[in-house]
Amino acid sequence: MLQVENVLFTAVMLLYFAAMILYFVFLAVKKDVLSKVALVLQIAGLALHTAALVCRGIGAGRLPLTNQYEFATSFAWGLCLISLVFVMKFRFPVLGAFAMPVTFLMIGYAAMQSKEVHDLMPALRSNWLGFHVSTAIIAYGAFGVSFVLSIIFLLRDKMQEKGFLDQHIPNREKLDLISYRSVALGLLFLTFTIVTGAIWAERAWGSYWSWDPKETWSLVTWIVYATYLHLRIRRGWQGKAAAIFAVVGFICVMFTYIGVNTFLPGIHSYA
Amino acid sequence: MNTLKRIWKWIGSMQFAIGLLVLLAVACSIGSFVTQGQSFDWYAARYNERTAAIIMALHLDDAFHSWWFLAINVFLCVNLLLCNVVRLKPLIRRTKAETQIDLPGENTVRADGVNEPEAFFARLHMPKPVRGAAPDGTEVLVSSKNRIGLWGAWVCHLGILLLILGFSLGQMTHKEYVAYGVPGQTRPIGDTGLWLTIDDFQIGLREDDTVEQYTADITVFRAPQGSTSAPDTRSATVSVNHPAKLFGMTFYQNSTGWAATVSVTKNGEPLQSEVVCAGDYLRIADMPNLVVYLNAFYPDYVSMPGSRPMTASGQLNNPAYLYSVYYGSDILGMNVLMPDESVTIDEYEVKFSDPQTYTLIQIKRDAYTWLAFLGGVVTMLGLVLAFYLLPVKVWAVRKEDGTWVVAGRSQKGGAIFAERFQSAAIDSEQKSA
Ligand code: HEM
Repeated sequence: MLQVENVLFTAVMLLYFAAMILYFVFLAVKKDVLSKVALVLQIAGLALHTAALVCRGIGAGRLPLTNQYEFATSFAWGLCLISLVFVMKFRFPVLGAFAMPVTFLMIGYAAMQSKEVHDLMPALRSNWLGFHVSTAIIAYGAFGVSFVLSIIFLLRDKMQEKGFLDQHIPNREKLDLISYRSVALGLLFLTFTIVTGAIWAERAWGSYWSWDPKETWSLVTWIVYATYLHLRIRRGWQGKAAAIFAVVGFICVMFTYIGVNTFLPGIHSYA
Repeated sequence: MNTLKRIWKWIGSMQFAIGLLVLLAVACSIGSFVTQGQSFDWYAARYNERTAAIIMALHLDDAFHSWWFLAINVFLCVNLLLCNVVRLKPLIRRTKAETQIDLPGENTVRADGVNEPEAFFARLHMPKPVRGAAPDGTEVLVSSKNRIGLWGAWVCHLGILLLILGFSLGQMTHKEYVAYGVPGQTRPIGDTGLWLTIDDFQIGLREDDTVEQYTADITVFRAPQGSTSAPDTRSATVSVNHPAKLFGMTFYQNSTGWAATVSVTKNGEPLQSEVVCAGDYLRIADMPNLVVYLNAFYPDYVSMPGSRPMTASGQLNNPAYLYSVYYGSDILGMNVLMPDESVTIDEYEVKFSDPQTYTLIQIKRDAYTWLAFLGGVVTMLGLVLAFYLLPVKVWAVRKEDGTWVVAGRSQKGGAIFAERFQSAAIDSEQKSA
């Protein structure tokens, strides 16, 4: 099973890479049909990615959500899924062109991690871990999409061109709304993540909140996005300031995910 | 009076909320970067004396329990409370207004010449409209959905308030104890008057010798008041991730370590024999000033010249005991002892044997955990309402020529709602044409 996963994983990387390149070509030569092919590749990649995760789950005999490799590949999966949903729902292929590189970077990061399957230490053997990590994947995916949307928003303000890109990128108001929808999805799931994590910590360590660095940074992330929500509804602040906060929010997400493990040890340092 | 009112208003404002949220985020990140709970000397060694002095003066060494962290949270609570109180009445009014027959006002989109308004409502997935009449007698249809969504922010703020309240009350009142020992031992649980007996302790290993689970069987009882009444006794099994609740307290299998039997003879006669956990000590029965510490236990001892004693694995391949002996506060000796060796102190001889694992049970009482979790659930509910039940109101007004003007409003739907509205209107016209 794990060998099948390995093959699938390589295929997924290739598909994501091809989709990314096609999206770029689509932006460069301005042919709509290219974005459709890129979208098909992205969907195919996502399907194989799902299969790879299922294989790993069967091979390891548990949910594939417990070490740095598994979380990185799941994160890439979440990002690909949520960006796909947004591209299709809002008919917005340019979003795909910006989101695919982030997805590709993420799966590249996964490829650099050790793929060994380890048995779980007792504290990690909990159903709450499944809820905790799977909600985090959706949250991180949605925040990734809001990050990309905010970058597009900020670039759009600088853009002189009136033509192809102008037609393919929604106006400021709509872009802000789409970004809001993705932050909303992310914040809701981040709240699920924090609450299920707290329930799990309460059962495993006897304390639902202990200001461990990873906990603290998930709270910082949560607060940053809450601030985004409020900035958005303040007259005169929506748009640029909110977009900057969404970018800062995603930097916090990445710091919580990678930075904390590297710089600030705590009970989460194995995950 | 006026300035006082203004200050209140400002404290309950969203502007103040944004400021507090940013402050809280900064405070939390400082608390995560400065290693918590260390001494002045530790910080001085890590950074320098001046930085250490600043850290101590600003309580950055215990940031999450400092006066300024508390102050931010108190302000946040007052801010949330005021905001929710002030907004309650307008919110009720707005919720009622969603079903009332009024005519298009702010934030509306409209379309002309619709022939079948019911079909138009259905196309926008609106519920069946209510029929009524405008003040001037024209026929009006009104439909609204997701009115409850108006309450999202309010419910979310209430949840956060409960959460902070539950967490703070828990911090102030919770009690925590530990009890550890090997099977057969009974220990007091702090000052609760309860006792804990460890009936059994098992370490479940997998085939490759990694640990799958730690499981302890425990019995907790209250020491009887008089000698006549039987003790109130309750038993449970606890393992990692599976705590048990007894006597209103939660018992957790927390950790494990090594213990050994320490036997003392005096002039060759057995004097005492007790199980002592690593890190713990034994007081010689007839000379209380003489104390033997079991500092550490190495199941698979390796000694290398010039380095500290170590264990090569968790297996009992080559057990060794690191002990020290004190008389009062004077250290008499410290060494590593193998199972067949002993220490002699005057007429006493001390031996270590029977290494076994002990379990550490953590015991906790937090009467407000439920409140914090209720707050969490209410917060999530509020977010679902705010984000996924977007209130929409749609009207249709009959014109003299028999066609209808339709109008709609969705504060949060914005441009996306407007697009859906317009395409539904175009669909309606095409269908009827
Ligand atoms: C610190 C005190 C806070 C105050 C005084 C405050 C105040 C407000 C106000 C006045 C609104 C506007 C509501 C509306 O127009 O319907 C609002 C919206 C909202 N607030 Fe807060 N807020 C606070 C903290 C928070 C926090 C910590 C969160 C955490 C997630 C939060 C989540 C929300 C949400 C979800 C909305 C609705 C936004 C939307 O739907 O776009 N608030 N808040």
